[in-house]
Amino acid sequence: MSKVMESSSSSYKGHKKSIGNWYKKNYIGWLFILIAVVGISLFYFYPMIRALLLSFQSGMGSNLEYVGLDNYIRLFSDPTFIAALTNTFIYLLIQVPVMIILALFFSVLLNDATLKFKGFFRTAIFLPCVTSLVAYAVIFKYLFGVDGLINQFLLDLSLISQPLNWLADPVLAKITIIIAITWRWTGYNMIFYLSALQNVDKSMYEAAKIDGATSFQQFFYITVPMLKPIILFTSIISTIGTLQIFDEIMNITNGGPGNATLSISMYIYNLSFEYSPDFGYAATVSYVIVILVVVLSLIQFKVAGDDK
Amino acid sequence: MKDFHYKKSWLIALALAVFLVLAACSSDEESGASGDGGEEPDKITAWAWDPNFNIAALDIAKESYDDDIDLEIIENAQDDIVSKLNTGLSSGSMKGMPNIVLIEDQRAQSFLQSYPDAFYPIDDYINPDDFASYKLAPTSFDDQQYGLPFDTGVTGLFFRTDYLEEAGYSMEDLTDITWEKYIEIGQDVKEKTGKDMISLDPNDLGIIRIMIQSAGVWYVDEEGTNVNITDNEPLRKAFENYKAMMEADFIKANSDWSQYLAAFNGGDVATVPSGNWIGASIEAEEEQSGNWGVAPIPRLDMDGAVNASNLGGSSFYVLDIPGKEQAAEFLGDTFGADEEFYQELVNEVGALGTYTPASDGEAYQKENEFFGDQSLISDFSTWVEDIPSVNYGMHTYAIEDILAAEMQNYLKGKSLDDALADAQGQAEAQLK
Repeated sequence: MSKVMESSSSSYKGHKKSIGNWYKKNYIGWLFILIAVVGISLFYFYPMIRALLLSFQSGMGSNLEYVGLDNYIRLFSDPTFIAALTNTFIYLLIQVPVMIILALFFSVLLNDATLKFKGFFRTAIFLPCVTSLVAYAVIFKYLFGVDGLINQFLLDLSLISQPLNWLADPVLAKITIIIAITWRWTGYNMIFYLSALQNVDKSMYEAAKIDGATSFQQFFYITVPMLKPIILFTSIISTIGTLQIFDEIMNITNGGPGNATLSISMYIYNLSFEYSPDFGYAATVSYVIVILVVVLSLIQFKVAGDDK
Repeated sequence: MKDFHYKKSWLIALALAVFLVLAACSSDEESGASGDGGEEPDKITAWAWDPNFNIAALDIAKESYDDDIDLEIIENAQDDIVSKLNTGLSSGSMKGMPNIVLIEDQRAQSFLQSYPDAFYPIDDYINPDDFASYKLAPTSFDDQQYGLPFDTGVTGLFFRTDYLEEAGYSMEDLTDITWEKYIEIGQDVKEKTGKDMISLDPNDLGIIRIMIQSAGVWYVDEEGTNVNITDNEPLRKAFENYKAMMEADFIKANSDWSQYLAAFNGGDVATVPSGNWIGASIEAEEEQSGNWGVAPIPRLDMDGAVNASNLGGSSFYVLDIPGKEQAAEFLGDTFGADEEFYQELVNEVGALGTYTPASDGEAYQKENEFFGDQSLISDFSTWVEDIPSVNYGMHTYAIEDILAAEMQNYLKGKSLDDALADAQGQAEAQLK
């Protein structure tokens, strides 16, 4: 939209027309974007503002009243919220880097010109992304059950002597969640890298090879710098996704054991529907996600972005 | 640049206009919906969740109802009903809400108090004294009866007669025992038969709720408002029992409902202490017919604890929307008065209501072949009368999540005093 404005403003700079005239000439243009403007205002800005107002209210169900900043103060002394925040950050700090690196690794492997059955492997790794979140979560729950396939496998290999209780142990449960989301989303990120790799000029690799660069050097000094914008993009998308993680937790562990795997989104759900409904406080917690997404994205831009 | 500025302000003006229109719209809606004297609808809708149980009960009620009623029963998962009610009622618009809705007893107070104007009192249509007394506290509010008590969650100790016999125990050895004794028997059974005693989900403290209600307490005090954890002796004992069970090595862990069902359908566990409604799932495995019995639920080892408790159970509520009189009349004439209907309910669905005059009927005395010809329904209905009445308050699930977290800590070695004190502190902070 800003592009449209800039171009139109530059083309009109020469003419010193009155504002009225300007509207006359442009109203058709405005009519075209009117639908989008109304739609976005209606379905994005209006709910956002209502949610912000809601986050300053508290009370059960429909008995809401304004409490000022109480909800925001309550966040800091709410151990469940702090647990949910910590869990979410653990997912974020471990899962996003692991996934990004794995996705990079796969995409470089699959981009190899000499590789056979490329299409098959690409599809195989991308396929998890088209599965339904709930369906795959339920399958993971059974895979990691006490008498699930993973335990059977580990037992058969004699890696463990008795079945691990994956979903009932706080650490193992977190690991299960991280494995699940990594499985689900690695292929998705890989596709971005694969398509970006098509745009990397082959001659650079040839030149590097002639200069005697090893594969590792090629990867770190050519591939990674060339993919930097995409890496930034995927890490922001993944960060946002992980901050909002809900389906997997809800279906695999339901937040347990205790609240060892509870995520922020799941806590919002609990506050609204599981406990006595407090939509005001739930809105406050959801604004925390908004703030976190903004802050983390800014940091990522600063750290990895171009200095444009 | 100047032009650009104008354009921007134009955009903002447009956005503002949209907001104004929206605001106008939303206030219009409100005034429209609050008009209470709307006309009678053609049909009455009801939401319930179990086609083999409460929906079947509504179907039978519809058939046995003398007057003509166009009742549409809509099946929704229980979680969906909870979230739909919450979003619907809090929006202030009653559009799309059902006339009759089934709500679990432990959630009822949270709805009644969160949306005080949304429900229609049904005192004029039923006599609350006809129902088991423990059902009344959760279903009423401000001295008015809102819920029509439906099924009971009266608990029993379902057990494999063959396994326990092999270990040298009979029905009598299991009757009126304490949880300590239960653990002792469990260890013995595991030793002699190799079977686990019980299947538990470490995330679900249902068994703790069974234990504490048998002693007449809950997570909150009698008023239902103050958190009652640190000085709650039964809860303390229940925690100790739970840990003893976990350490006794006779637990088959499960992490969801289907695994729980598989544990006893597959013959892996010797006992299932649960609400009577689990009977239908146990009977689903026909091969085990004749190998099950039901003893009274164990009690806590303390004064005032009884061998009767409750787990689950729900009641019907009428929403305050057009059609409410018709809906309340329908419920009152069937669930609230019809003894014959309850006999049919037992015969056809195996559902045990909490309408006490019905318990003398013949269907209640019938013997159940699957459970070794035990008069199951009759046993359950005698235990119903002993269930201590407790006030569930509004925050059962919020407190339970906190307790579940502290239970994990306790199992890992945190002292019980610290665990309960921390839970009390957290619950107070969260529920103020």
